[in-house]
Amino acid sequence: MNQTNKSVFNVLDDKRSEKADQLHKVFRELGVNFASGVPCGVLRHIIKNFDNDVAVLHVIANRESEAVGIAAGAYLGGKVPVVYMQNSGLFSASNDIASLLVPYKMPIFFVVSYRGCEGEDAVQHLTTGQATEHLLKSFGLPFVVFEDQKLETLIRLMFATMREAELPTFLLLKRGWHR
Amino acid sequence: MKRQEAINTIMETISSQDVVISTTGLISREIFEKFDSERNIYVPGSMGLASSIGLGLAMVQPTMRIVVIDGDASLLMNLGSIVTIGNKKPTNLLHIVLDNEAYASCSEERSMSDTAYLDKLAHNVGYQYVRAVRCQEDLKRAIMEFRQGPGFILTKIELGGRRDFRRPLELAAIKNRFMLFLKRSTKGGLTS
Repeated sequence: MNQTNKSVFNVLDDKRSEKADQLHKVFRELGVNFASGVPCGVLRHIIKNFDNDVAVLHVIANRESEAVGIAAGAYLGGKVPVVYMQNSGLFSASNDIASLLVPYKMPIFFVVSYRGCEGEDAVQHLTTGQATEHLLKSFGLPFVVFEDQKLETLIRLMFATMREAELPTFLLLKRGWHR
Repeated sequence: MKRQEAINTIMETISSQDVVISTTGLISREIFEKFDSERNIYVPGSMGLASSIGLGLAMVQPTMRIVVIDGDASLLMNLGSIVTIGNKKPTNLLHIVLDNEAYASCSEERSMSDTAYLDKLAHNVGYQYVRAVRCQEDLKRAIMEFRQGPGFILTKIELGGRRDFRRPLELAAIKNRFMLFLKRSTKGGLTS
């Protein structure tokens, strides 16, 4: 465990991320035009890109469950939504994913920051961190942990699988993913 | 007013082109059994999310009117939702709360809506049209007078009533027919 608060993760920086920009570009090419979620620092570049794009209707939610509901409504209305949250919130929203999106067969793409991995400096993330992949596996939902694969190919493949299976699908992003 | 009377009044007063999003438990089951239609979306799980689903839909389909039929305990479970609705101010959203001060679909355990003043809360967070009603006649008038939302009708109802309704089970089929209904109603054109 890191005992100081001087890690690179505890600094706000406004620099753009090439990877986040690539991700946004491929989202737009795949038709994404709606976003809802609860902010996480790990996802800040992605959130800023949603905010700065007039073609994406972006609604910040108070809790992750609410974001799932808002995105489900947008999906029913014909939009292509992305939902974002931290994995801690994935546990809060897990029943909403399982009891709304799965039985209604709503293929909604989730970007989830993956705290509680190796090198984590915050104890509150350790339990959910070690359980995150198990949760998604036990629900039978598709997910990929981003390990510097080619983003465009990966996201296109994930969307194709998601649309075929009509299931919510999850991209897990660890701290520092955007560098 | 009984739950059955409130639901009958709502379903007979709103327009046939209005979308209906109904909350978990007996409210959805009663509407499914008596008023099933392609314009309905039932929220049998994910208790509390009916108003969030209504918000998402209202924001992306501004030419349609979205009627959310919520319960008091269900609203309390996702209370932050009214803050988001009051902030985004979809003018086409009418949020009706059937308030029996209980988890009536469970075993009628008491909720805390009797001390929550949900109508005042809705007003304070930015709903543009707020009414509180206790009889069918007032409920009907409140729906008919609704012009510009977000609207909130706190509808006090009694506990009790039928419990043996069928459950909506074919949710994917309900979604598909709903999306076709929407496409037809908006002449296939997606609003953006």
